[in-house]
Amino acid sequence: MSLLTVKDLSFSYSQEENVLNGVSFVVEKGTYISLIGHNGSGKSTIAKLLAGLLEAKSGSIEAFDLEYNRKNIRKIRSRIGIVFQNPDNQFICASVKDDIAFGLENRQVDPAKMNEIILEYARKVNMEDFLDKEPENLSGGQKQRVAIAGVLAMKPDILILDEATAMLDPKGKKEINDVIKNLRTENKDLTIISITHDIEEAFESDRIIVLNNGKIALDGDKELILSHKQEIIDMGLDIPFKNKFIDALKDAQLDDVIKELYD
Amino acid sequence: MSGGPLGKYVSYPSFIHKMDPRVKLFSLVLLMVAIFFQFASYEMTFIVSGILLLFIVFLMIVSHVSFKSFFSSLKSMWFIVLFLFIINCFIPPANSTNVAFNLWGLNIYWESIFQSIKIVLRLIFMIALTLVLTSTTKPMDLTYALEWYMTPFKLIGFPAHEIAMTVSIALRFIPTLLEETMRIMKAQESRGVDFKHGKLSSRLRAIVSLIVPLFVSSFQRSEELADAMEARGYDPKAKRTRFNKLTFHLSDLFALLLTAIFVTGIILISAFKIDYMNPLFFPSFILGVLFIIIYLLVFASIKANWRQKR
Repeated sequence: MSLLTVKDLSFSYSQEENVLNGVSFVVEKGTYISLIGHNGSGKSTIAKLLAGLLEAKSGSIEAFDLEYNRKNIRKIRSRIGIVFQNPDNQFICASVKDDIAFGLENRQVDPAKMNEIILEYARKVNMEDFLDKEPENLSGGQKQRVAIAGVLAMKPDILILDEATAMLDPKGKKEINDVIKNLRTENKDLTIISITHDIEEAFESDRIIVLNNGKIALDGDKELILSHKQEIIDMGLDIPFKNKFIDALKDAQLDDVIKELYD
Repeated sequence: MSGGPLGKYVSYPSFIHKMDPRVKLFSLVLLMVAIFFQFASYEMTFIVSGILLLFIVFLMIVSHVSFKSFFSSLKSMWFIVLFLFIINCFIPPANSTNVAFNLWGLNIYWESIFQSIKIVLRLIFMIALTLVLTSTTKPMDLTYALEWYMTPFKLIGFPAHEIAMTVSIALRFIPTLLEETMRIMKAQESRGVDFKHGKLSSRLRAIVSLIVPLFVSSFQRSEELADAMEARGYDPKAKRTRFNKLTFHLSDLFALLLTAIFVTGIILISAFKIDYMNPLFFPSFILGVLFIIIYLLVFASIKANWRQKR
């Protein structure tokens, strides 16, 4: 069942140049998709369009059989959660607890039930010991996990991660990626769209869409990406270290080593 | 960040910390009003000030406010004290007759000295009371209390919730922006900008190199924050539930009544121009003190009972 359909989507911030040029793709329920591209390839714009924070100039987006327009946008937004890049700029309230509660308050959830929900989702991101902490006392990774908990508490069908690990140190990155892995095993119905320029991260997903100059350059699984290595590198992206290493071993005619290491 | 700023919230399990912020705010206003009453004579003013001082010290001890931070905040007041004293020396209050001493041909009246002391005392009391409020109440709770007091104005379309939300976000972002300021300062210093030395004009230019990037990043932040809030379903016009509910307990009622009685006493002393020479003063003072003690005892026992029941 297709959950999200993007058809011929174009967008521009100014009159002159389109950031997105006729982008089309279909997202199935429960998949983990990575949108990858270099800076300025339009990937964050897609995230904002999908989250309903920007309006498409032409083309259409449809989610849950609802077309994106003024009338439906609140309904659609309520089923899509988005986590942004900067952990500081999405921490709205004064403490972890209050911040997870923010979305629930907007949803008019009964305050008597909030404590339980907050604890449940804080546990999912391993932040249950920090509920009363203020954002100044948290690391970037911790703040980002709070943001994920705040979004998940609203029980979205689609979770969009807009470069959620880009501003984090390796430890913070690992924390977030572990949380995502756990989410995937816990909830098979959750659709995750991860916008990233980190190819290692993208290789964790089921499907990779490569954006270049506002157009989809490649759309498929890891194998497809690996079969277009040169194109990927020409686009200013990289291929995972492991694959580069294997290639280097191949070039050195060390096939036995490859066999020993990876088979 | 440099040190704990004055009046920053300090967590401590005191009765005053647990009080409803609305009651605290209202009590603060009541006590501030009490500070500004005129009394029959200077002697009476100092007697009442002494009582107020005792009360405020009591509040500060109960709420565990650090006296050190209080006195360090008074340090910066010496200029005001000097200024007040000089003003009062040159323009003595009306009916000044008691000359204290003569300074280079200028009569310094006792009234001038008393007047200056009175004003300084008022200032000290105000600072102390505000300190008690801000160090026992989380800024967010104060915002909620303010919003609650502004609720009636919602009827005439006053955006009480929006203002409270704006204030709370501003409070939330103070440390973040301070950190950002430090970062930009360091970045600019590493490029050769000198914030600390040089002529005023060059220092002003240095400040511009701090303010412009700070503004740019703040605007960016505000845009991203707005996106994050919108994505999480925030609509200022829509109904919301409230996770942090302000609750008014029986103890809050007691505290409010105690403040009200205290302030009423002061108002009565002022309104009826009761002097300490008045034969009624001493007995009523003793009665008042006894009443407050009994009141506190009753309150403590009720609270203990209530706790046992729970």
